Amino acid sequence: MSLIGGNRSKAPRKGAGKRNDNNRIYANPLPIIFSDSSPSRVRSILGLVGLSLTQVITPHCEGYFDPHTRSVWTCERNDSMLLWRRGFFGKGDLSRSEPTWLARRLNDRKARQGKYLTSEEIREKRRAERRQFKLDRAAAIAAVAAEAEAIFEAEGRVVVPALSGPEIPSGATWRPAPVLDGPTLTTESREMLEDQEPLEDVEHLQLTLHEAFFLSWNLDCLDILHPETDEPMTLREIWVAFQHAYLTPPIPDLPTPQLQFDNPFLIHYVAYHHYRSLGWVVKGGIKFCVDYLLYKKGPVFTHAEFAIVVCPVYEDLADQETSTTNLQNAEPFNWHWLSTINRVNSQVMKTLILTYVTIPARSRISSDVLSSPACLAQYSVREVIVRRFIPARMRD
Amino acid sequence: METHPSYPQLSLLVSKYPSTAGSLFQTYNDLLLGKFYNAVKSQQWRDLQIVDLGEPCNRASLQGRRPAHIAVEDVDALLHVVPCFMSETISLSWISDVFKALSNPESIYLAIATEDSSIVYYKLSSGIVKPVV
Repeated sequence: MSLIGGNRSKAPRKGAGKRNDNNRIYANPLPIIFSDSSPSRVRSILGLVGLSLTQVITPHCEGYFDPHTRSVWTCERNDSMLLWRRGFFGKGDLSRSEPTWLARRLNDRKARQGKYLTSEEIREKRRAERRQFKLDRAAAIAAVAAEAEAIFEAEGRVVVPALSGPEIPSGATWRPAPVLDGPTLTTESREMLEDQEPLEDVEHLQLTLHEAFFLSWNLDCLDILHPETDEPMTLREIWVAFQHAYLTPPIPDLPTPQLQFDNPFLIHYVAYHHYRSLGWVVKGGIKFCVDYLLYKKGPVFTHAEFAIVVCPVYEDLADQETSTTNLQNAEPFNWHWLSTINRVNSQVMKTLILTYVTIPARSRISSDVLSSPACLAQYSVREVIVRRFIPARMRD
Repeated sequence: METHPSYPQLSLLVSKYPSTAGSLFQTYNDLLLGKFYNAVKSQQWRDLQIVDLGEPCNRASLQGRRPAHIAVEDVDALLHVVPCFMSETISLSWISDVFKALSNPESIYLAIATEDSSIVYYKLSSGIVKPVV
């Protein structure tokens, strides 16, 4: 296809260009990269024998453990972008997903409206247009109703005011009014903008403890530093500290609480690890009333297909009675609540998955195994998909 | 967290109520810095202040006014935002304690903070509210 000549329509090209950009920027599903720098002939010869010279390059990022917010903060800009671009780990704490706070502030300063929009700006534009559409529609309905009133008073004929029809804008027919250019900046205000002092980037990338542990234990690409001593924590320290972050905060005089199998960190980590190792991108799901959302390639590509609710199940019910942690969803759902969550998610076209994580019995395994991640092998995961079935409509 | 520029204002309440410190910090930053729209107008929440709710709520809340350019009626109303964590359990008595401690405003915003720094805001009003057309 010739690239010269502009007789193609703009819209499909814009979509394809953006898709290719995304495929290029987010090409690595994990922070580690496999690289092979040998010439292709050597590679093919070795490949016949079954050998390869591929090297695994692991980046080294640093993050601070913050027990108050139960998260790990990555303050270095390069590390943040690396972790976000290769695997969509973490979330910028002042942004919707990717740390764009500095970019938005700079955009705002230069008043480059419309040139390059971050996802927050696109969202605001969409919300403003929707608000305007609702106002226009309400005004049109009121006008039709007033007209019906006038007809009734004048002629005594009753006309039922229509709620839809040619005069009332609907989602398909409404178009936003063309934006008039605001007053252009005068030269003085432009100089004032340029004189402002350089912006300090106060945003960091916030990783949940599960993401941070996954990165540091499995991929070895994150060093977690202790917040007070700035020393990198050993794996054992990280494991114990992360579990303690979820137990009730210790009262100074009593000894530190013992590690238990039903620690929320362990249960959620089992689910997180399970789905990450299957290749899904796992993000938090609070916006849809669930625990996690599963993305096939990442949030920038398509919407999440699955919504996960983690339901812990005790292998030994006696453990549940004696447990001190108040686990969410450990009791069976009542139908009311399950229907609510299912409705919310089917409205946004996501499938609800109940992930049952079985907590091993204390009678079977001693609690000593909790001091190392080897105890994760004792947990098991089962999934149940919930879909609403309407007999009248789903006959085929 | 201690090195963050917003910390000095919060340090007193962080040490007083350590269990809710994280949610207060996240909500404060979100309102002060994060709620930022692409417009050459004032963006952040104005007059943001921290209010200590005392017993039995054992947390601090925030109050302030919305950014000036958002077109709602009564732009200058003083709004209350109460931060909490997703892992906390909230009961009706908890909510009524909070309303009492803030001397019974018409509505409060509950800011539910999560570990990956997403904050979800819910508006709780005392009594029935007629929906806006």
